Amino acid sequence: MRNILTIIKKEIHQFRRDPKMFGIILLGPILQLIFFGYAVNMDLEKVTAVVFDKDKSVQSRLFIEEFTSNKYFEILANVNDYDEVEKYLENGEVTLAIVIENKFEKNISTNRTAKVQVIFDGSDGNKASVAAGYVTNIFSDYSKQILIDLQNKAGQKRTLISNVEAEIRAWFNPTLKTRNFMIPGIIGMLLSIITLILTSLAIVKEKEIGTLEQIIVTPIKPYELIIGKAIPFAAMGFIVVSIILSVMTFGFNIPIKGSIPFLFLSSAVYILSTLGLGIFVSTVSKTQQQAMMIAVFVVMMPMVFLSGFAFPIENMPAIIQCITYIIPLRYFMTIIRGVILKGIGFTELWLELMIMFVMGIVLLVASSLRFKKNLD
Amino acid sequence: MNINAIEVKNLTKKFGDFVSVDNVSFNVKEGEIFGFLGANGAGKSTTLRMLCGILSPTSGDALVGGFSISNDPALVKKNIGYMSQRFSLYNDLTVEENINFFGGIYGLSGNKFLDRKKWVLAAANLLGREKTIASSLPGGIKQRLALGTAVIHRPGIVFLDEPTSGVDPISRRNFWNLINQLSEEGITIFVTTHYLEEAEYCNNIILIDSGKIVAEGTPKELKTKHIKNDIYEIETADAVKALELLEFQNYVDETSIFGNNIHVAFNENLESIDKVKQLFSDARLETTKMEKIIPTLEDVFIHLLDKDK
Amino acid sequence: MKKRLFAIAKKEVKQLFRDRRMMFVIFFFPVFLLGIFGYAVNFDVHNIQLAVLDNDKSGTSRDFIASISSSSYFDIVNYISNNHEIDETLNKRETQAVLVIPQNFSSKIFSGKKAAKIQFIIDGVDGNTAAIIKNYAQGATASFNQKIQSEFVPRFGVRLNPPVELFPLFWFNPELQTTKFLLPGLIALILVVTSVITVSLSLVREKEKGTLEQINVSSIKTIELLLGKSFPYLIMSFINAAIILLAGYLLFDIAVKGNYIYLFISIAVFLFACTSIGIFISAISESQQFAFTAATFFSLLPSLILSGFIFPIESMPMFIQVLTNITPTKFFIISLRAIMLRGASLDAFFIQWIYLIIYSSISLLLASLAEKSKLKML
Repeated sequence: MRNILTIIKKEIHQFRRDPKMFGIILLGPILQLIFFGYAVNMDLEKVTAVVFDKDKSVQSRLFIEEFTSNKYFEILANVNDYDEVEKYLENGEVTLAIVIENKFEKNISTNRTAKVQVIFDGSDGNKASVAAGYVTNIFSDYSKQILIDLQNKAGQKRTLISNVEAEIRAWFNPTLKTRNFMIPGIIGMLLSIITLILTSLAIVKEKEIGTLEQIIVTPIKPYELIIGKAIPFAAMGFIVVSIILSVMTFGFNIPIKGSIPFLFLSSAVYILSTLGLGIFVSTVSKTQQQAMMIAVFVVMMPMVFLSGFAFPIENMPAIIQCITYIIPLRYFMTIIRGVILKGIGFTELWLELMIMFVMGIVLLVASSLRFKKNLD
Repeated sequence: MNINAIEVKNLTKKFGDFVSVDNVSFNVKEGEIFGFLGANGAGKSTTLRMLCGILSPTSGDALVGGFSISNDPALVKKNIGYMSQRFSLYNDLTVEENINFFGGIYGLSGNKFLDRKKWVLAAANLLGREKTIASSLPGGIKQRLALGTAVIHRPGIVFLDEPTSGVDPISRRNFWNLINQLSEEGITIFVTTHYLEEAEYCNNIILIDSGKIVAEGTPKELKTKHIKNDIYEIETADAVKALELLEFQNYVDETSIFGNNIHVAFNENLESIDKVKQLFSDARLETTKMEKIIPTLEDVFIHLLDKDK
Repeated sequence: MKKRLFAIAKKEVKQLFRDRRMMFVIFFFPVFLLGIFGYAVNFDVHNIQLAVLDNDKSGTSRDFIASISSSSYFDIVNYISNNHEIDETLNKRETQAVLVIPQNFSSKIFSGKKAAKIQFIIDGVDGNTAAIIKNYAQGATASFNQKIQSEFVPRFGVRLNPPVELFPLFWFNPELQTTKFLLPGLIALILVVTSVITVSLSLVREKEKGTLEQINVSSIKTIELLLGKSFPYLIMSFINAAIILLAGYLLFDIAVKGNYIYLFISIAVFLFACTSIGIFISAISESQQFAFTAATFFSLLPSLILSGFIFPIESMPMFIQVLTNITPTKFFIISLRAIMLRGASLDAFFIQWIYLIIYSSISLLLASLAEKSKLKML
């Protein structure tokens, strides 16, 4: 017990003497949260387009106006041949090109179908689908308007059918702002990265500079060394969590719907699991460089991509979904989003909590066992 | 009391195919200063680390303080102190923080700890400078601080791995005073070094080369036992030319340069030193000194290592 | 002077390739990760599980439901009968969305006066899925609208063809696979991580050990020294890039539509920019730990979030858009997408190369300033 305290004291002294690390660990996450909080937005706000009007009639100009007057669209240019259309699309300057046939007005006035080709830049499939949706609505409205006019002209008072309008209601996130469900995720990410960086180097650093040799020659037990190193980092992680949660609540106005104590409890348990991961990495590496590469490739990158942070897990092939089960961040994502946005708590999330706890303990025990006080 | 503090039996360490320590056996008596000499890479540090229980032997065993390094390394560690080759205290901690740390790890507390702490500070001449950051200490002081913390818990045996590398001669002398002090208190000191003059301060020495023991004994024994030749020291203006002259003579066994001096080991073929004097004057090479000396340990080792090859 | 650079570079290469563990991690893992993440990253939400609460139960409402389910977007898994079940089915995660058709659905449609409102209820917490479901819902509705307009009109005896018909064409990625879109970003991310971290760490490690040769006050010599030292990592990253692209082609069918030479030039310029960042980070770091933290915060995270990899830059607030220039990954991704996905010609991305070169110069300048200011303090 006493040995653990001795180690903790030493770590604290060392940390205090490294103001740069101290600064970047405390400030870094705050800055990152602010910038990323504003950056993450999946909603398509603006669709750029060019128009190739082969008809140049009154009717075609009216049609084009449907787009120019629409807040989602921005017509960059009117072009005069397919080459230009190709150019704009290839260069990625526009999301779509509207090509109006030269018989546009004629067809409409003779009750035939006027054809309009819309060429989408499909490279961003998501963007293209959304844009297609916007475009379809405009076409639909325009068609309906023409029909109404025709009906009126023919003296028929009977209007046609109405459109269907879809109202989207999103629970827990009524405005459906991407930011609101990304920010809890970002918090999870930042917490993971901080604790991982600190711990993965914890033991290897001493190996590299030689002080570890001096320690393993003493009667200290492996678990005492590991716990002694883990606790200050846990405290650090906790401080960071508190700070960025405050930024989220007061800076971004995302209130925590659920129980704050439970949130802190889950954070503590999650920190336990990342500590376990980091320290385990530290015990299997011979140099700091190795530790960092392993931390980045084997832990960090999978966390980023497979935790459900940015890419939905349900979309992934079954095999990969299996892999996601061993990533602690996956569970923490569920918890943090659940507590902040849904207000659910222990009763719904106890399983995730327990899994993280078990993972942490297993990793720390494994590290203690692996770490023989030995230079081999 | 002639109890053995350390008993080494057929200790071997292999790294893959490379044999670093080859079937080494020796004993160290309680309370003596034991020197382990050899060139870099000879296997000194490896042996020492095995004896501390932080490197496992490939075969063989050793009893350190009565405990086996293969079976009970944890018990070995309770009774020993160790100073590794690199300065392994924390450069980013103060003197005081370093002492507190190691004192804590060794289980010291209360008045006992405070006493020992004062002792360490005095030994390193750092009383009043507890708050100095370790990285700003000069080399010699650092070494003494490291030694002090290594024995803060009053172990029976202390292992020192090249403790004076890179330290100036005066600091080295001070350091050895400290070692002698510890030895007088009954602590067994096992030290590795490649500074041969330090070997003179030891009670017993082992010379190791390529993992094997090449010689062992007290400094005096080594000097007298191993060298049968007469050793002469010749001081001359052109040492290199002198060497060239001598190397081909059939009465010369070994030569070595010491600055402007050369040491020459003559064998039975030399009837009289006058022949050498003649040789030099024939070559018009002036010599200012040509005297017989007691072989230094360096002479001994060069002789032994050469013989090995 | 050039000879010195070459000698330094040669030594570094030898040292690096001797560390087998590192070699394994650096060469094997990127491809391995590409393989896994390539399958994992996509925004294609197929077959969203939908529950339907039809309060109208009319021919029209059934038409609507049929049109929704026939689209590949939605899979109807359940018909529920009251509002309570909405909560239940979403909470239990039996469905991802619930379609609620009000009682007056068909009457509203035929009234021709106001729009007939239906509701899609989704769990807003489920990450991006919610946004995607929203888009699909609106798209499906829009399609239905177009259909009924054109189908309905003939029923009234008025022979009217649909006035305006949309013929959509999706270029470059006809099936709208989001994977194809995300892969260049993934490749960029893997490259940036490898190159920035390895460069900055190797330089700082030498600092820590004290084996870094005396840095001259003259900044030109300093930079040459640092470039020579980072040379092997540059080569290594380049090999990595080639391997990853090959893997991308074999696993995901990502063929490069455009010119391979442009592709390699883009990679080279990008890697050079990454190396410059690595050098900058090493200049401001005293310990490997700090370098690692800085590299993660200044290159890994921004490359992930600010580069346009996942989140479109056009959708970000103006001041953030300015900030995105902090990561060279942004310029690289634009070039990559232009070359790989659209086969664009040089003028589409040439400016990105220029940006990358400017970026590298600024980084190196800052690095040499940092070194100089440190020497002044001594």
